[in-house]
Amino acid sequence: MGRLSIRWLLGELPKLEAEGVIDATVAERLRAHYAEKTSGSGRRLVVAIFAVFGALLIGGGVILLLAHNWEAFGRGTRATIALAPLLVSQVMVGWVLAKRCESTAWREGTATLLALTVAAAIALVDQTYHTGGDLESFLWRWSLLLAPLPWLLNSTAVAMLFLASLAWWAGAAKVEGSQILVMWPLAAAVVPHLVQVLRSGRRGLRAANLQWAIALFLCVAAGLGLDHRVPGLWIVVYVGLFALMITLGAASRRGEEGLWRRPLEVVGFTGSIVMWLILSFDEPWRHIGWKHIHTTERFHEVTSWLDLVLAIGLPLAAIVAMALLLDRGQHSLYLLWGISVPLVAVVWPLTAATDSRWIGAVSFSLLLLVVGIATIAEGVRRQNLGTVNLGMLVVAMLVMVRFFDSGFGFILKGFAFILVGTGFLVANVVLSRSLRAAEEEAK
Amino acid sequence: MNRSLRLALFVVVALVQLAVAGGAIVKSELALRTGEAFRFRIQPVDPVDAFRGRYVAIRFAVERAPATDDLEVRSGGTIYVPLDVNADGYAALGQAKTDRPRGSSYLRLRAGVVSPDEEGNRWVWVALPFRRYYMDEDRAPEAERAVWAGRRGQREASISVRVRNGVGVIEELYIDDVPIHQWLAENAQDR
Repeated sequence: MGRLSIRWLLGELPKLEAEGVIDATVAERLRAHYAEKTSGSGRRLVVAIFAVFGALLIGGGVILLLAHNWEAFGRGTRATIALAPLLVSQVMVGWVLAKRCESTAWREGTATLLALTVAAAIALVDQTYHTGGDLESFLWRWSLLLAPLPWLLNSTAVAMLFLASLAWWAGAAKVEGSQILVMWPLAAAVVPHLVQVLRSGRRGLRAANLQWAIALFLCVAAGLGLDHRVPGLWIVVYVGLFALMITLGAASRRGEEGLWRRPLEVVGFTGSIVMWLILSFDEPWRHIGWKHIHTTERFHEVTSWLDLVLAIGLPLAAIVAMALLLDRGQHSLYLLWGISVPLVAVVWPLTAATDSRWIGAVSFSLLLLVVGIATIAEGVRRQNLGTVNLGMLVVAMLVMVRFFDSGFGFILKGFAFILVGTGFLVANVVLSRSLRAAEEEAK
Repeated sequence: MNRSLRLALFVVVALVQLAVAGGAIVKSELALRTGEAFRFRIQPVDPVDAFRGRYVAIRFAVERAPATDDLEVRSGGTIYVPLDVNADGYAALGQAKTDRPRGSSYLRLRAGVVSPDEEGNRWVWVALPFRRYYMDEDRAPEAERAVWAGRRGQREASISVRVRNGVGVIEELYIDDVPIHQWLAENAQDR
């Protein structure tokens, strides 16, 4: 039983006792039983976290020691030093798989150590023989060797290391002008592990950590993976991606508490705000669409098609997820934030056809304003301070960004500011009135 | 998945990990012990890698090999470049080929673009695999400075390389024909 369910059960006990469903001794026994359970699971969690951090520090220390470059040792000695830590951690992982497979702390700890000693081994061999090329080549070999480990060892820590290494490689390779299409199939290596983790406990900390890593990886990978043959497709891709994260996060939510356990929503909301703010400038809308397809540079055929698949697939997936939410009927806030998808589906082709930079900029400024105010209103309706603050943040950011935007004339800016200011005052009055009404009602 | 299958798969993965690291050792050792020696003149630059420590970055003055008119190679494709020795004793890249040359030492390289120069000779651009000379973290910056001084014409910098079956491994970095460690020791007072 998960901790949330236990907390719910313990909360129910007084009522059950008062209504005579159970007697005082049974209630006491239940309390004692579940108190043990919860404290035990807390302890196991702490042990697992310490195991992973211990392994990270030791592995990192080994890499740093080797990076010093012990030239005094001969090549043979250094080759042995390169392979020895790898061999030791392999034996440890093997022992854990055979004897302690159920212990998260042992599995995650030894798997992390193995991941880092793999890095240490290839790094020291490169160093000893002055081979291996640049950082890009190193990260590529490391990512390849890590790929099977998350699933095989059921280790979320290694999955996070793997995604970080792969994203770093993709960034380095992109800078070098290399083709990074292979990043996608390789990244799919974490999917079996994701299934593993979601099956064993979708509300657990491991599920949350893994979703954080995947959400952040997707943010980076979506940008790096694009070929940009058709300029401006990134706008549709990112708007779709963040809307999808928000709706998927809401759709899969089962009463998780705290922001850390809702990574998809947090990344989706944050990403959306940043993205919309960027799109509220005219610059991103300059020279986009099919009229400006690059023809002079060389592009990779498959990657160009992938751009298109992402630009159509992500918004479509977001809309499907929204339809699912609509079915459940109680997620008006999330649906509100999903408006960006139909908006971009109209504005993007319109901009591409007319070459007008202002349609997009004005639309997204209005979107920020409308969604911000509507979020505040929704927060007021549900008496949820967090939601009110989110809406306030959106509107405040919009105002700040426009204040420094030189693209608008002073008169337009002046009117806009007065309008937003009035909006704030009105919102304030409405908010305080409704809160007062709620208080009176409560009395 | 049952435990023994998982364990068996892990043994396979572990062996692959060892093979990647061990294979690189064997390949490099073979080249160093049995390969033919060449000396390349270099132009070095800049120095640190988070995982592998400090190094002297190596650049070459020219990284292109002569290509015959019938050489057909795509950018990113594999080519084989025989190594010649110039009159001054330094290595020079021979005529690039798409199949392995026989009888002489060669490097297996990735081709860049093929382009003609002003005189109409065809050249294929390559990236030589000798990019870094890793050193002790205290010494690498000193070596770097020494090599840089060489670039301004006061000193000559070069690397010796052993080549076997297309694989080249750096053996030593030289300043004015003196191995770098010896050179640093001898010039300790000057710094």
